[in-house]
Amino acid sequence: MITANYGADRGPQAGEMALLLKNRRQRSFRLYSICGMSVALVVIAILVLTIGSVNIPLGTVWKVLLSHLPLVSINEDWPATTGMIITGIRLPRILMAGICGAALGVAGATYQGLFRNPLADPYLIGVAQGAALGASVGFLLPWTFLGSFFIPLLAFLGALVAVSVVYLVARAGKTLPVTTLILAGVAIGALLMSITSYITLISDDQIHGIVTWLVGRFSMSNWEQVALAAPYIAVGIVVILIFARPLNVMQLDEEQAQQLGINVERTKLILLAASTLITAAAVCFVGTIGFVGIIIPHAVRLIWGPDHRILLPLSALAGALLLILADTASRTIMPPTEVPVGIITAFLGAPFFLVLLRRRKKAVF
Amino acid sequence: MTKLEVQNIALGYNQHPVVSGLSFRLEPGEMVGLIGPNGCGKTSIIKALSRVLETQAGQITLDGKDLHLFAHNDLARAIGVVPQNPALPENFTVAEIVLLGRTPYLGWLRKESSGDLALAWWAMQRTGTAVLYDRRLGELSGGERQRVTIARVLAQEPQVILLDEPTANLDINHQQEILNLIKGLCREKNLAVLIALHDLNLASQYCDRLILLKEGRIYADGRPQEVITAANIKAVYRSESLVYPHPENNLPVVMLSSKEIK
Amino acid sequence: MKKLALVFALVIVILPMLAGCQTAPTEGNVTDDLGRSVQIQGIPQRIISLAPSNTEIVYALGLEDRLIGVTTYCNYPAAAQEKPAVSEYSNVDIEKIVALQPDLVLADSIHKIDVIPALERMNIPVIALVSPTLEKLISNIALVGQICGQDEAAKSLNQSLQDRIETVAGQTRSMPDDEKQRVFFVTWHDPLWTVGSGTMINDLIEKAGGLNIAADLEGNQTMDLETVIQRNPQVIFVLSSMGDQDTSYNYILNEPRFQATEALKNSLVFRMDPDIFGRTAPRIVDGLEEMAQDIHPEVITTGAR
Repeated sequence: MITANYGADRGPQAGEMALLLKNRRQRSFRLYSICGMSVALVVIAILVLTIGSVNIPLGTVWKVLLSHLPLVSINEDWPATTGMIITGIRLPRILMAGICGAALGVAGATYQGLFRNPLADPYLIGVAQGAALGASVGFLLPWTFLGSFFIPLLAFLGALVAVSVVYLVARAGKTLPVTTLILAGVAIGALLMSITSYITLISDDQIHGIVTWLVGRFSMSNWEQVALAAPYIAVGIVVILIFARPLNVMQLDEEQAQQLGINVERTKLILLAASTLITAAAVCFVGTIGFVGIIIPHAVRLIWGPDHRILLPLSALAGALLLILADTASRTIMPPTEVPVGIITAFLGAPFFLVLLRRRKKAVF
Repeated sequence: MTKLEVQNIALGYNQHPVVSGLSFRLEPGEMVGLIGPNGCGKTSIIKALSRVLETQAGQITLDGKDLHLFAHNDLARAIGVVPQNPALPENFTVAEIVLLGRTPYLGWLRKESSGDLALAWWAMQRTGTAVLYDRRLGELSGGERQRVTIARVLAQEPQVILLDEPTANLDINHQQEILNLIKGLCREKNLAVLIALHDLNLASQYCDRLILLKEGRIYADGRPQEVITAANIKAVYRSESLVYPHPENNLPVVMLSSKEIK
Repeated sequence: MKKLALVFALVIVILPMLAGCQTAPTEGNVTDDLGRSVQIQGIPQRIISLAPSNTEIVYALGLEDRLIGVTTYCNYPAAAQEKPAVSEYSNVDIEKIVALQPDLVLADSIHKIDVIPALERMNIPVIALVSPTLEKLISNIALVGQICGQDEAAKSLNQSLQDRIETVAGQTRSMPDDEKQRVFFVTWHDPLWTVGSGTMINDLIEKAGGLNIAADLEGNQTMDLETVIQRNPQVIFVLSSMGDQDTSYNYILNEPRFQATEALKNSLVFRMDPDIFGRTAPRIVDGLEEMAQDIHPEVITTGAR
């Protein structure tokens, strides 16, 4: 490999040391941030297990969790319902909230990076609208095979089909122009949404189910859902994390990125596919929860900057944290009834944006 | 050994050809100016040389090897491009942008080494942007941003540098700084440089060779004294001008003829 | 001259206001369940029903010959399906109603926002019937009977209904709380929707000798999965929606986290007919008897089943 080798064979100079030091410090800060956020996530998840329609003491929660570890024997002195509530109801619910929050956070950061637009969110090119249409059709169809997985399956398929259609419409030869993608996404999304609205209107007695699905809730989360959603979301997030650096380079325009050696079209396609996959997997079980995908990347950027190598992992962790807290609020505000979690994230979203607008001097994006 | 050779290429957008039958060479250590009226294809040629725009006919070779045979990364290590109006994200710092120039060498998962950081620092020093290293791009002036882009390209350690009107928005002293820098590097590192310029006098002063384009074809290719003549300017730009040798170095200087001033 | 002109002008200005006063609606002679005062003149001969419950009341009072319009969901008695349909659930065809020239329309609370004002503008008398308790249902049956000149039929229907209600309530009233069963009534499963206080079904549960575990909630609300399990219902009723494939019922039977509740351990999960339990009509008393026997099999009912 011939390189011009401009000047790497000199010793370090004074100013250079400043850069080196800053870089090293930044790396440590990022590492500590990720570790810290992960620990906080685990701690909060455990604490939140104590909260519910009946508050269970932390000690009991701890013992119940430990009792499920192999090679640990604990005297089981808690009532059976308590154990079942912790491991059968609250734990899968918290895990589902965490996984979906991570998916939405990462997908939001990826979309904002791909489209170079601070208003982009995971639902920009039709995932939510496709999933909503799939789900509402599922509510109307009388088929009962697959039981409670019928509607999530249709929602998932609806999301993928919608995005595929948007992609095919926007594709121009071998390239995928980003602006066309957004326009196609908005147009097709609007079309799908209007069909969904119509279905909701004529659904009569299913209207409850559909509207609740649209707003988003974790009330019925169980281990089967966690087992199905987790692999898709984990794989998708890992793929996106690998593409963190190319995503940084793509913040220059596409031409410059290409001139720097990035296969722009392939990168766009892979990132789009991965973020669509994780969003669809999250949304198909719990409904279209809004604002997480758009708030979290902005919040992370405010503190840690725009480098995707830190933005993406922290968006995952912060998204998980936000949604776990929002879900906890959703079941503790008006017990024993639940405020759908989508409403809570919306309540958080509006003031967040107002604060963001006022602080624009700091050039957040 | 010819660095970059362009053989009979045609370029266009949709079915509309912008450039046709174009052939020229770039040699190492030589600074070549690409001049001609707006819309004559300068930007398209630069895009084609960096493989951003596909040729509709003809061939481009680097070190004798067809451009299409290079992997994306290898091409990026060899050719660096300073575009005309590069998009720059407001929130990145100067150092972060310049370090992006190391992308072709870093792959996706490797961290920047101290060698990479040292090189980035050198690039920033050469372009006078070192003092701005932790400032965000959004706070910089147009000229400063231009120099950051050049630093980024330098960090790529390319053997060929293509520049598209790099001095368009700069004051005269900055224009000279940049051109001095480019020419210095050209000589020092034996780079092949192609620079699109609209200012004929700057082209004349700085470039070893000039390629004059008219409507997508080469009208003249040679030393400044051969290319910048009143006749050529009239034929290509349709403007009456006076061309006199510079009192200090005899390179052609273009002046507006009073006949043109109405 | 000037003075005359002034007086003339004043009269011109004031007269229309007086005329306006005269065409203002006069006080009605009937108050419906939305608090509206409605003027009914004479005995209605052309009746339209905008809810299946109202249709059943009309038939039960022997007024079916005067019934000229129903909804697409009015399926009881079967003859009702032969009548012209003017609406679905919330989609009402105002034009069709006007074309039929009714002199009485029996509506529901969901029609409050747009349908009722539209009919009022057409000067069509509309009465909305809302019955959150059995008592209210009885009084509404009496009201319809009175308006339509069928007081005798109403009285005799109400007597029979009240007898049947009292038969059940009389047996359960004296039960001590620990004999009453904890009841959970599911109207939808994802999330769990149930009925709290102030609803007809809650009234049924109480009279049937049950303790509604959602009694601390008001109206239709969702309930946390956890809370349901904590409150350990002994009997679960599941309402299957119209045209539904028993999704909610199947869910309750199969959800593993419910298996530990007493209701599932003792297989006391019952699917309830939405045509009976979703309508505040005379058949709700059938529902009461069914519910009572499900909860307390030893209870004697007199009703026709």
